[in-house]
Amino acid sequence: MPERAGYLPGLDPAALQWQTLTFGRTGTALAVEVPVLGAGDMTRLAAHVRQQAAERLRPLPVARVVEAVDAAIARLLDRSDPYRRRMDDLLPIVTGYDREMVRLGLTQYLKTFRKPELLRFLAEDFANPAMLDDFQPLPKGGFGKAFGPPLLAHIWAGNVPGLPLWTQVSGLLVKAGGIGKVPSAEPLFATWFAQLLAEVAPDLAGCLAVVWWQGGEEAPERALLQAADLTLAYGSNASLAAIQSRMPPAKRFLAYGHKVSFAMIAAAALDPAKAGDTARRAAYDVARYDQQGCFAPHVVFVEHGGAITPRTFARYLARELAAFGERYPRRGLTMAEAGSVAAWRQREEFTHGGEVLGDEAGTWSVSYQEGGAGFGPSCLNRAVRVVAVDNLADVPAQVAPYRTLLQTVGIAAPPGDLFRLAEALGEAGVTRIAALGDMTAPEAGWHHDGRFNLLDLVQITEIDARAEPAADRLAPYAD
Amino acid sequence: MAQDPIVTDLLDFIAADRPGDGAFNALALKLFAWQFQHNQPFARFARTRGKTPRTVKHWADIPAVPINAFKTLDLTCCPPEDAAAVFMTSGTTQGGLRGKSYHADLAVYDASMRRNFAERFMRGAQKMAMGVLFPTTEMMPNSSLAHYLDLAVRSFGTPGSGHLIGPDGIDLPRLIADLERAEASGEPYGLLGASFSLVHALDALQAQGRSFRLPLGSRILDTGGFKGQSRELALDEFYDSLAATFGVSRSDCVNMYGMTELSTQFYDDGNAVCPSVKSGPHWTRTRVVNPLTGGAVPKGETGVLAHTDLAHYNIVTTILTEDAGVEVDGGFLLLGRVAGAEAQGCSMAVDEFLSAAAAG
Repeated sequence: MPERAGYLPGLDPAALQWQTLTFGRTGTALAVEVPVLGAGDMTRLAAHVRQQAAERLRPLPVARVVEAVDAAIARLLDRSDPYRRRMDDLLPIVTGYDREMVRLGLTQYLKTFRKPELLRFLAEDFANPAMLDDFQPLPKGGFGKAFGPPLLAHIWAGNVPGLPLWTQVSGLLVKAGGIGKVPSAEPLFATWFAQLLAEVAPDLAGCLAVVWWQGGEEAPERALLQAADLTLAYGSNASLAAIQSRMPPAKRFLAYGHKVSFAMIAAAALDPAKAGDTARRAAYDVARYDQQGCFAPHVVFVEHGGAITPRTFARYLARELAAFGERYPRRGLTMAEAGSVAAWRQREEFTHGGEVLGDEAGTWSVSYQEGGAGFGPSCLNRAVRVVAVDNLADVPAQVAPYRTLLQTVGIAAPPGDLFRLAEALGEAGVTRIAALGDMTAPEAGWHHDGRFNLLDLVQITEIDARAEPAADRLAPYAD
Repeated sequence: MAQDPIVTDLLDFIAADRPGDGAFNALALKLFAWQFQHNQPFARFARTRGKTPRTVKHWADIPAVPINAFKTLDLTCCPPEDAAAVFMTSGTTQGGLRGKSYHADLAVYDASMRRNFAERFMRGAQKMAMGVLFPTTEMMPNSSLAHYLDLAVRSFGTPGSGHLIGPDGIDLPRLIADLERAEASGEPYGLLGASFSLVHALDALQAQGRSFRLPLGSRILDTGGFKGQSRELALDEFYDSLAATFGVSRSDCVNMYGMTELSTQFYDDGNAVCPSVKSGPHWTRTRVVNPLTGGAVPKGETGVLAHTDLAHYNIVTTILTEDAGVEVDGGFLLLGRVAGAEAQGCSMAVDEFLSAAAAG
């Protein structure tokens, strides 16, 4: 029986058409059926989820929501659990990523959604998370309560395993009914989480739907945008602009565009005792999910003046990437992806005059460039440019023109430099500074692209400070 | 000036009657050694890939130079300033950098063009009345296509043949007069030009409600395709329109596939079926490879075309294109430009970065 994606509370699966997506470029093949929804189906689904959320989710205290999510995550952290087994077995086939890399990555990632982390997540955005349950006193006077949208639409992109969980959980924490659209590249994770949540918290079974439509198909998308109170979407600038153009007027839209990240290595991290470890950490950030995540480095700026020269460091990095490739092979590439890597290597060599290191099979590439305008995008799939600079302090000015595209910077530098660079990088538009080696694993409660994951979803209803005294005058016990 | 012996070898080889694979290999290796000696940027390129005349024993092992390299390297055996002709690409991509091919002289280029054109387009006919929908070499001195079409008219056109494009675009009255004359005389007519110029001509003639029945033996040659032009046509629609408007059967509509980075062209045997099978003459070989590893892909699977063209002797014989293709019996199918891959995840792909940076 083929795997089915989509979770459609209130709709009869037998009455729907299903389409088959096939995965498994190299090795095992996998067929996944996805539901083909018309605009009418979407509207009915939206009405059902909105009603279920109003009855079952919105009255719950946020602590109960945290417990439900924690229970689901505990199941997924159990490697013998049937859901987790399907993730470990099937996500490598769907995404092409190395099996062991997916398994380790999932565990590390899921750990950031356990109860303690969820509470941190809430505390990060709400000084008093009880605001999500009741009207709470506000510092300025009066009372306020945070309301999530009754119906939140998610449009996900990409194949980095687990990505939808961020917004699925964020939506639940603000008690929003959710309908998420999975990408054709990876339709299963979000589906499984919705099914599992329904198992561990049957009351919430109708509150979190998962849908699919063929990219570019407008009718179901318009129906969802129309029905939802708030839409958040991931994707390229072009696809986000297309969604934006279809947004009904006056509805809110949160767009998470594709981003570029990079690394910076200070001379102090390049003495003979530390350089190997520094290179290994950088290689890990490059190799993890084959650079497909927005937090993966495209460029590594390396400072002159250390015992190990930047050029030698590029060779260290090459060696570490080769070693990672042995343990966690890069996924197989399509001819188009192979062409992109070939074109990148050519540009590095011929246009930028760089030195290109790489294996013959093309599973990793390091280019080395001495100074100049070295910031630029990689072709991904484990290709990175090392740029030698005299002083890391010069880098922020170089990346500043790209401020809307910047996200994570992985830094290997002494404490003083860390804060000095962070100041200049933040000014340039960077939203996250991480230790080298941690770039691809954001911590619980991080501010995605510098924004507030939960606060951005809610609106505050406040009771004016004068409203309560005014009400007092009308109390039956008023004198 | 005495002719370079390598030119003599090449002219003899092009003129030869079906030389075998062994002769091709021998000349290819000789040219590789010659280029390795005289073309310094190419020698560096080959050496960094561990390819030298000592290690390369088969033409397929000659390192294929990506056409990107033609934009920044002066790949030439003669000093650039001594070149008789420099052909350049249009430079519409990559910040306006143009790929350059330096030709020490054009004797080999022209011999290659003539022999191949006589066989594949003229199909044995000696001369034909011709009209060219492309600017002249005076208007475009660095265009290899302008030179090619000029040479076609000079070598194979009857008196009165010539260009139908002037500074103001297509000379429609002259085109119509040519076509009417051919219809009246019953003498075959050859219409040659850039694919998009033929589309403009089709549009202009259709706007006037004009169509023609050119005499049997007439032919149309188009080249270049439509990418990036105002109007992109499906190939079937294009050849149907040509057939309907000019009365030339699709099997007499020949598509030429050529590149600034080569000295020889590839042709199909008409476009009754699209995509058509293309092939080159005996002094060329085409392989379908994985662009990253350079390894051949199995017959029938899509890869990127790598051409070995011995006539491109002053530059490099073997290039890696950005054209997707598939090997079939009798040649290869050309499947268009290799598209850049989109990122699978949320990281930014190169094309998007460039457009976002340009907009920002």
